[in-house]
Amino acid sequence: MLAASVLSDSALEHYRADFENPGMFAPLASAAVLLACALRGTRSAAPYATACAVGTAGLGFHAYNVLRRPGGLSWANLFYAAPLGAPAALALAGVIGLAARPVAAGATTLAGLPSGRALCGLAAFGLAGTSAEAALLHFRGAFQHPAMWVPVSVPPVTALLLAGAALPHARGPRRLTNALLRACTWLGVLGMGFHARGIARQMGGWRNWSQNILAGPPLPAPPSFSALALAGRAALALRAAQEAA
Amino acid sequence: MERDRLRRPREPARLRPARLRQPRPVGSEGGAVSAGHSPRTGAGRAPDVFERGGWVTMREYGDDEPVDFAIVGAGAGGATLACKLAEAGFSVVVLEAGPFWRPLEDFASDEEAQQQLYWLDERLSGGADALALGGNNSGWGVGGSTVHFSMISLRFRPDWFQSRSRLGYGVDWPITYEELAPYYDEAERALAVSGPVRYPWGPPRRRYPYREHEMNAAGLVLARGAENMGIPWASVPLATVSAPRGKSPPCVYRGFCNFGCATNAKQSALIVWIPRALAAGAEVRDLAMAGRIELGQDGRAQGIHYRRGDQWRFQRARNVVVSGYAIETPRLLLNSACNRFPHGLANGSGLVGTHLTTHAGPGMWARFDEEIRWYKGPPNMAVCEHWNYTDTGKDFHGGYAFMSQGPLPRAWAQLLVTEKNLWGAALRREMRDYNHMAGLVAVAETEPRACNRVELADVRDRHGLPVAHVTFAYSDNDRRMQDHARRFMGAMLEAAGGHDVWTSDDTSHILGTCRMGSDRATSVVNADGRSWDVPNLWICDGSLFPTAGGVNPSLTIQALACRMGARIRTLAARGEL
Ligand SMILES: Cc1cc2nc3c(=O)[nH]c(=O)nc-3n(C[C@H](O)[C@H](O)[C@H](O)COP(=O)(O)OP(=O)(O)OC[C@H]3O[C@@H](n4cnc5c(N)ncnc54)[C@H](O)[C@@H]3O)c2cc1C
Ligand code: SF4
Repeated sequence: MLAASVLSDSALEHYRADFENPGMFAPLASAAVLLACALRGTRSAAPYATACAVGTAGLGFHAYNVLRRPGGLSWANLFYAAPLGAPAALALAGVIGLAARPVAAGATTLAGLPSGRALCGLAAFGLAGTSAEAALLHFRGAFQHPAMWVPVSVPPVTALLLAGAALPHARGPRRLTNALLRACTWLGVLGMGFHARGIARQMGGWRNWSQNILAGPPLPAPPSFSALALAGRAALALRAAQEAA
Repeated sequence: MERDRLRRPREPARLRPARLRQPRPVGSEGGAVSAGHSPRTGAGRAPDVFERGGWVTMREYGDDEPVDFAIVGAGAGGATLACKLAEAGFSVVVLEAGPFWRPLEDFASDEEAQQQLYWLDERLSGGADALALGGNNSGWGVGGSTVHFSMISLRFRPDWFQSRSRLGYGVDWPITYEELAPYYDEAERALAVSGPVRYPWGPPRRRYPYREHEMNAAGLVLARGAENMGIPWASVPLATVSAPRGKSPPCVYRGFCNFGCATNAKQSALIVWIPRALAAGAEVRDLAMAGRIELGQDGRAQGIHYRRGDQWRFQRARNVVVSGYAIETPRLLLNSACNRFPHGLANGSGLVGTHLTTHAGPGMWARFDEEIRWYKGPPNMAVCEHWNYTDTGKDFHGGYAFMSQGPLPRAWAQLLVTEKNLWGAALRREMRDYNHMAGLVAVAETEPRACNRVELADVRDRHGLPVAHVTFAYSDNDRRMQDHARRFMGAMLEAAGGHDVWTSDDTSHILGTCRMGSDRATSVVNADGRSWDVPNLWICDGSLFPTAGGVNPSLTIQALACRMGARIRTLAARGEL
């Protein structure tokens, strides 16, 4: 799901940039392969590792793009230059894919940690990062709609609780964390609705969809929350199962 | 000898009076309304600026019903004050000489179609540096000049309010920056100004309500030049929204801002203050030209004679506010001369119409190897206020800001014709470089001098009223400032990689013909905009400015109007109106 979100987001944004640099196709290809592999349950590590590499390289490119503009590391460049969060999400999707493989194969530890806890940590990190990007872009939008505060308040709390579950000796059943994760799953869906409404509020609204999908709030962005929340719930379930065993 | 002449437009189409008399039809109320002809407000309703063909309900007053405030002019000053007064519970009627625009229908993204937005009635312009009057300075219609302004929303440098005592030039204002600061905040919030998170000049302040816009390439030229010269720069705080706001969609960066914004992203007085004023119970009468203010035996203004629909009418009022822009405001006062004030109403000081200031706008232009496409986005997106805040290394008093430019093709062609005298093949050749050009234009303060003024001419307009005769000449200081600006901007363009630099002349905002002050002998009104001579006569527009400052004035006009609204409320509560 994260891969799908990255795929469509990167497709839109790089289309908007007219694929000025051939490298702009890389994340698209990588995210597409990732999506296909995730859907088919491929065992090979290669696509995931590629996604990590492409995502990391993209992060480098985007950081370069931000820094080389007049003003350097300024708010304006963080708002309008290549977004740092997008390639990071691709790398994250790769890491999650890589981590999921041994777990699916029955491994009980990941990087020396019990796999449930490790995945909780990873999902928490992802949620926090996605929320940070939403914060940046919603700040750019001046939080002009009250709903814009939700993705910068609920997911960070959820991420914190989920990170708590990654700690050793954390308490067993985590009803609140689970409930919040469920809320974050819905937040992704509702967020898309809000973004659709945001597009309607552009000049010409949905009648002028071909431009406003590019100019308005990104439709594919909010589902990242759903993806990471689902990953978080799976991690939490795994952790509970491991604890019980 | 003075170079007096009936100033024809620089650009042939802008001032052609015939255009006024036979404007092309705009609007779509059953085809009946054309701009400049049939009024759109009345019968209990006014156009809804956010809906095609929509209406909002409007309260109406009878001519014989003395309203608390009759306001002449619905521009930056008048619309703002109308809103503040109506929201404070006063009864308000606004008389506006021009039409009530419908942005979604009247404003085409077409340079030629929009030449109807300006004050095109005849005026005389003379003096050694006669001002071009028309599109570049005077609006016409509800919203005034803010309908086609460039949206630059800058605050004055605090020291300018006391420029005589602190900086040694000009005159002191009767208020301080600190007194105005809360109203600057209020105006910025009302206009949802989109600005940088931290603005590099001026005292600490609240963050702009909306974030800055994405910089266009023309702005990046200024940015690059400034960084190469080690000088700060910033994106321009603009009164157009960078994200949706109520019924305003965000800016679409098509760059037709110096005409009416058909997107309604521009936060003009027409779409910000007027809807609020109407909702609070104000009445706006469009196509109502005020001709004379009537003074009663008791020395108080009784109301306004105005012409609407070919009929002269008289609106009674307890207070009269003049907000007609720095040319029409003194003109109306001079046209209202009476026994008690034979030299013009409220002109005991003899200062009405004098001390006219403008902003000199020397421009520097250069060609760049890369494509700039400067028509994209609002016309001015990057600003440098270095010489407004730095006093060392100046050979002049005062200050100037300068901005990146983005003229549309017609405007650019016009500049090439008038400034470079190009025509025919040479013009075509130069126009081919359009996408490779970038430029910087200053907003340079000029000195307030008694000799620069608005008087009445013998010529009469289509209403039978004597027209304004504007006289203007630069002082030596004004010229030194412009020379400095040219040198500095030229160096910056070269630092940014431009070549074939050339220069042009222009002026913009007109200010300061009924100045405010703390002494009735040296000013026309007090710090509240209240006439020293006629206690129920007020002025609320750019004519109040004792000095022009080196930035665009509309934010300060609106802040002053907000302050006046609050002051009038206080005075009324104390029974001192
Ligand atoms: C092209 C252009 C670009 C500009 N760009 C900027 C910018 O970027 N930033 C900035 O701060 N400023 C800018 N300005 C200047 C700014 O728009 C004006 O300074 C400001 O609007 C002046 O406010 P005002 O209230 O004095 O007059 P206006 O806003 O001009 O309003 C005066 C109104 O009074 C009406 N009127 C006049 N006489 C009569 C009468 N006798 N009876 C009835 N009605 C009458 C007129 O029709 C007009 O609508 C720009 C102006 C122009 C023209
Ligand atoms: S560029 Fe923005 S403010 Fe200017 S006319 Fe277009 S939408 Fe309006």
